[in-house]
Amino acid sequence: MSNTIDQNIGGDNPISNLVFHWIAIFNDGKIEQFENGKEHLFKEVRDRMNDLVYFNLTDRKGHLFTVNLQNGLIGYNRLEFPYIETDEKKENIRLIFFRRHRIELGTNNLEEKSHTIAYHLGCQYNDEYNHNHKIILEIDSEGNWILRS
Amino acid sequence: MSSVHHWYESNLVGEDETADISNINFGSVDEPNIVPSAHLISRGQNSFSKYIRCKFTGTWTEILNMKLWKSAGEYVAGETIKAAANVAYDTPSQVGTGDGNIPIVEGSALHIHSAEGLDTIVYGDTGVTGYTTYIRLQEQTTGSTPAGAVASKTFLFQYDES
Repeated sequence: MSNTIDQNIGGDNPISNLVFHWIAIFNDGKIEQFENGKEHLFKEVRDRMNDLVYFNLTDRKGHLFTVNLQNGLIGYNRLEFPYIETDEKKENIRLIFFRRHRIELGTNNLEEKSHTIAYHLGCQYNDEYNHNHKIILEIDSEGNWILRS
Repeated sequence: MSSVHHWYESNLVGEDETADISNINFGSVDEPNIVPSAHLISRGQNSFSKYIRCKFTGTWTEILNMKLWKSAGEYVAGETIKAAANVAYDTPSQVGTGDGNIPIVEGSALHIHSAEGLDTIVYGDTGVTGYTTYIRLQEQTTGSTPAGAVASKTFLFQYDES
């Protein structure tokens, strides 16, 4: 299945307070995190990992991060070629995705401190020697990212 | 939406719970949202211990890797904040808790469990309340602690959510 992306990413969805939303492309269809006023839980993706082909993370500003679960490559902003690539042979490719919340609590005021959410997206795989490797992007709410592996 | 966190503090012998507390100031009284200037801690004494916990509402799949540490705020001489995670509630008092110093870096952070004693909080699982276990905090001073206000402290609570 091609990695087509709807622009209906839930950005106007009143139940969404997240900057980035995911779109899971399976070999027989797709699930968007927010569709028609309804939220799909990530559990629906986790339960179908074997059918997952692409996992996209996108925002209203047009940032698009893609994990290709067939070859373990990570794409950025619709580039045809993988943005981040290694030459290793990859087996048992598995998605990594979570949101890391950091909440600052003050002795003086719990409400005025910061709450940041960083999106961690990538995959892990086994090389030909069965060693496990991880490639993870840490993406902030502005779409800035750094590579962690 | 995603998870939404709320901080609760419990007080008194009845484990009276206050939702959405506005601060975790320490003082010489067992109550939430303390105004420090009204409940000063005498030099060489401890604050009342505090029992706080987080409750998650909203929707998520799994919450895990819950950690807490002190990220900012210098101590004055003789001042320390003690902390322990995953403790059972006990009536707060000014008796020293016997806990260790609160960690100041993520690498040694306190690891927080769910109220059900698990590393994760799975949305919708049978018996899951959305609460963490209690975190116990106490500010301790010594005879060498100078008079006057101490610096504000900042704690970082971190968790991963999918």
